[in-house]
Amino acid sequence: MKKTFAILLASTALAFGAGIPAWSAMHGAGLSTVGTDRDGLVRLADDDDHGDDDRGRSVRNGDDGDHHGDDDDDDDGREDDHGNGGSVIVNPAPAEAVAPPANGLFGSGAGPTVKVN
Amino acid sequence: MKTILAALALTTALTLPCVALARPVTLTTTLKDFGGGGAYLAIYVTDAKGAYAGTLWMAGGKARYYEHLADWYRATGGNTAEINGITGASVGSGRTLEISLDLADALFDAGYTVHVDAAVEDMRDSPNDIAVPLTTAGAGKSFPGRRYVASLAYGL
Repeated sequence: MKKTFAILLASTALAFGAGIPAWSAMHGAGLSTVGTDRDGLVRLADDDDHGDDDRGRSVRNGDDGDHHGDDDDDDDGREDDHGNGGSVIVNPAPAEAVAPPANGLFGSGAGPTVKVN
Repeated sequence: MKTILAALALTTALTLPCVALARPVTLTTTLKDFGGGGAYLAIYVTDAKGAYAGTLWMAGGKARYYEHLADWYRATGGNTAEINGITGASVGSGRTLEISLDLADALFDAGYTVHVDAAVEDMRDSPNDIAVPLTTAGAGKSFPGRRYVASLAYGL
C-alpha cells in the first residue's frame, strides 16, 4: 500500500511539474503592462540588413513630417537618438538569441520560426 | 505490475490536457508590391476588450523606427522587452512572411484579434493595416489588408 501511494505521488508530481509551466504561461502572464524602463535589456548587434534595403533608412510620415536626422546604421544594438535629448535606444534581441517573452501567447514557450518567400 | 499500470494511466490522464493547451499555427502575411524598401511589421494580439495582449513577431530590428508602428507603439510604449527573441528582418515589397508557432488554445474563439501595423521608408505609416479575429472558423481563410498588407491568413 505504501509503495502504491509512493508511485502515485511521484507520477502526480511529474504531471504537475510538466503542466504547471504551460498553464501559468497561459493564464498567469495576462496583459503585459506598458513600461518604459529599459534596464537589463539584452544588447545585441543589429542584423536587420538581410536582403532588405534598410540602409540609411529614414521613415518619414507624410502626415507629421517626422525626420530622422541621423541615418547611420549602428550595429552594436545601441543607437543615440539625437532628437530625444540624447537618450539611448536599445534594439531588441533577435529571434533565437534569447527566449521569447513570457506573454502567454506561445503555448509551448518556444519562439516562432519564420520564413520569407 | 497493476500498480505501475494504474500510475501510468493516471499520469497520462493528468498530462494530456496540458499538451492540448497549444496548437501549431502558421501565420502568412503577404505584402503588396508597394515599390518601397523593406516594410516594418508589428504582429500582435489584443483581447476581447481590445487591450494589448502581446506581440507575436516584429519584422524590423531598429527600435528607432518603431514609433511608426503607431498602434503597437502606443500599446507598448515602445518597450523592446516585448519583442526580445521574436524580432527579425523587415519584409520586402511583394514578399510573403510565414510565421510558424505554437499558439495558446485559449486565444481562439475567445475574442482575441491579431493585428498588423506596417510602416515603409519614405511612405505613409499604416497602423492596424489589418486586424483578423482568431477563430477556428477563420482558419485557412485569407483576409485583405488596407495599405501594405495584401492578405493575412492563419492555418491550424
